[in-house]
Amino acid sequence: MRRPLLLSLLFLVLLCTILLSIVIGPAGTPFLDLDQEVTSTIVFSVRLPRAIAAALVGIGLAASGVVMQGLFRNSMADPYLLGTSSGGALGAAFAIVFLNGTLHWVFAFIGCIVAMAIVYAISVRGGRVPVEQLLLTGIAVSVFLSALLSFLMYTSDKSLHQIFLWLMGGFWSVSWSDVTIGLLVLPASLSLLLFSRELNIFSMGEEDALHLGVDTERMKKGLLLASAFVTGISVAIAGSIGFIGLITPHLMRLLLGPDHRFLLPGAMMAGGVLLVLSDTLARTIGGEVPVGVITAFFGAPFFIFLLKRRYAP
Amino acid sequence: MIELQEVDLEYGAEKVLEGITFRSGAGELLGILGPNGSGKTTLLKAISRIVRPSNGVILVNSRSLQEFGQKELSREIAVVPQSSEPKFDFSVEEVVRMGRYPHKERFATEDEEDRRIASLAMEATGILHIASRSVLEISGGELQRVIIARALAQEPKVLLLDEPTSHLDLGQQVSILEMLKTLSRKIAVIAVFHDLNYAAHYCDRLILLHDHRILAMGDPESVFTPERIRAAFGIDVTVRRNPLTGRPAISPLWRRTENGAGGRRVHVISGAGEGADLLSALQNEGYAVSAGVLSVNDTDYAVATALGIPCISEPPFSAVSERAMEELKAALENAHAVVLTRGLWGRGNLGNLHALETSGAGCIVIVDCPSGEGEWDFTGGEASEILERLKAKGAVVTREVPSTLDLLKTIFISRKNSD
Repeated sequence: MRRPLLLSLLFLVLLCTILLSIVIGPAGTPFLDLDQEVTSTIVFSVRLPRAIAAALVGIGLAASGVVMQGLFRNSMADPYLLGTSSGGALGAAFAIVFLNGTLHWVFAFIGCIVAMAIVYAISVRGGRVPVEQLLLTGIAVSVFLSALLSFLMYTSDKSLHQIFLWLMGGFWSVSWSDVTIGLLVLPASLSLLLFSRELNIFSMGEEDALHLGVDTERMKKGLLLASAFVTGISVAIAGSIGFIGLITPHLMRLLLGPDHRFLLPGAMMAGGVLLVLSDTLARTIGGEVPVGVITAFFGAPFFIFLLKRRYAP
Repeated sequence: MIELQEVDLEYGAEKVLEGITFRSGAGELLGILGPNGSGKTTLLKAISRIVRPSNGVILVNSRSLQEFGQKELSREIAVVPQSSEPKFDFSVEEVVRMGRYPHKERFATEDEEDRRIASLAMEATGILHIASRSVLEISGGELQRVIIARALAQEPKVLLLDEPTSHLDLGQQVSILEMLKTLSRKIAVIAVFHDLNYAAHYCDRLILLHDHRILAMGDPESVFTPERIRAAFGIDVTVRRNPLTGRPAISPLWRRTENGAGGRRVHVISGAGEGADLLSALQNEGYAVSAGVLSVNDTDYAVATALGIPCISEPPFSAVSERAMEELKAALENAHAVVLTRGLWGRGNLGNLHALETSGAGCIVIVDCPSGEGEWDFTGGEASEILERLKAKGAVVTREVPSTLDLLKTIFISRKNSD
C-alpha cells in the first residue's frame, strides 16, 4: 500500500519541519552563543508556539480547502469562498477600530461564522441548499462585506496600519494561548474525515450522490459547519492567509489521488508543513514579512504552473 | 415493486404530469416514451425521490417512498442519469465501487464481497478491461457503462435509466439494450426511450406520455398506432410488423409539401414495385394520388397503403374483376392526369390498359423505365400495341421519376394559364 506509507512520511516531514523552524530564526541558532535562559525563552515562548500555531492553521486551511473543492466539485474553490475571509476581516477591523483591538480574534471568528451563516440562510430553498446557489451567494456576500470593510478603513485612518497588518496575515504576536485555541482545529478537521467517503461520491454530482444513498443535505450542513469553524479559528489566529487552502489540495491530489480518505489527511499534514515553512521564511528574511505575502508570492506562480500542467496535452 | 397511484407532478408552478397510475415489478422492461418536455425525466425523478409529487402516492414494496432512509432507498432503486460529469480522476473501479455505499455502515471498510460484486458489475457491462483507467479519460460510451455498472453494484430491485443509449454508437446501443433485457428478467428495469423502434423491440410494456397524461400503456403492439404517434409527436408514420421480429416497426413519412400541386388528382397505374418511388414522390409533391388496380401481393400495393393512398385492389393472382374495373373507370375520369409505368403486363392486369385506352383520360404520362432488360410483355404483344396506340394519341413519355414530376408541373401550369 503506497498511500498509507506516504501519509506516514508526511507526518514525519511535518514533525521535522516544526523542529527545523525552532532552530532557525533572526536570533541565530540559539544553542551556540546565547545563554541557557535566553535560549529557552526564544525556543519555548516564541518559536515553538509560533511553529505549532502555524502548523495548526495550515492543517485547518488545507482541510477546509479540500472540503470546499469537494463540495463545489471545483478545484478553484478555497476556504474563503463563502464569505468567511471578508467576514473575519470585518470582525477584526471592527474590534480594532471601535474596541482598540480588544479580543479582535474573537470578533474575527464570529465574523467568519456569521458570514457563512448568512450565505447559508440566503441559499436555503425548501430545506435544500443547491451548491450553485451557495457559491453565487458567497460571492455576493463577500463583496458586500468587503465594501463595509473598505468603508471602515476609509473612515478611521488612525487604525489603518493595524487593520492592514492584520489583513495580510501573520503569526508575529502568537503565544501559547493562541496555540490552545488553535488546538480546536484538530477535532474539527478530524470530524471532516468522517465524510470522506461521501465526498468521493459527491464528486460525481449531487444528484448521483443522492441516488447512491448519500444524505446530501445533512452532509453539506455538517461539512459547511465544520469547515466554517476550522476556517474561523485559523483566521482568528493568523488573519486570512491565502493560497494554502487552494494549493495544498491540488498538490496532494497529484501525490495521493482524489480519494478523500487519503487526500484529506494528506492535505492536512502538507498544509501544516507549507505554512510552517512559509512562516519560517517570513520571519527569517528581511525582518518580519507578513506570511500572507510569502504564501501568495510562492503560491500564485506555483498555481499557474499547476494550471498550465493540467491543460497541457 | 413500484406502484404509482394518481400521481401529480409539478415543476415550480408548472404542471408536468397528472393522474399517473401504474405499477411495475421484477421481470419486465418498461419503456417510457413521449415527446420532449412530456415529463419522462420528471417521472423518473419522482420515482427516485428527487421530485416530490404534489398529489398521489408512490409505493415501493407497498411502503410509501417518503418513509425510506436514503441508503435504504438506494438499495431498492438505482438510477442511471442521462449524463454524468465526473470532476476528479477516480478510476473506473473506484467509481463502480461507490455503488456499494448504500450497503455499508459508516465505519465499515470495503470487503471481498464488495470487490466481487463490483467486478461482476464491470463484467456485465463489459468494462473490466478499463477498470484502472481514469473516468476523466474514457469515452462517453464507456462512461455510460461505468455508471450502469455502478448502479448494478447497488444490487437494486428497480433500475431506472434516462435515455441509456444517448451517448452510444449503434453497436454499443444494441449491446446495452440487450444487457438491460437480460437484467429485466431478474429486476424491474424502467427506461426512458427516444427511439420508438428500440422501445418496440426491447420493451415488454410501454407508457406513452402526452399532454401531461399517460396517452397509452400496454405492450408495443397495442400502444403504437399511427394515430397515437401522430397525436404525441405530430408526425405521420407507418406502423408495420417487422417480419424478422414480429414487433411493430415505425417509420416516419416525409412531410407533404404544399407547392401548388394541392388538389390535383393523379392516378397511377403500375405494378411489380415499379410505381413505389413514383407514388411517394407524387404524394410528397402534394398531389391527391390514387392507385390501381393492383394485386394485394404487389409491392406497389404495400407502399400505397403504407402511404395512405387510396388503392383499387384485387386478391393475389386473380384477373381484374368487373367491380374493380368500374372503380378504375371512375378514378380515371376523376383524375387530372394518369401516370402509367411500363411495368410487367400479363393477362391478369391487362384490364388496366384496356380501361385506360377506352377512358377519356386526356393527360397520360408513360414512365418508360423498365427495371430490367428482360421480357415485360406477357400478353402476346397486346400490351405493347396498346402502349404504342396511347403514345400515338398523345401520351407523353418520360424516363424517370424527377422528369415525370417536372412534366406534370409544366402541364398543370400551362393548363392553368389557358383556363
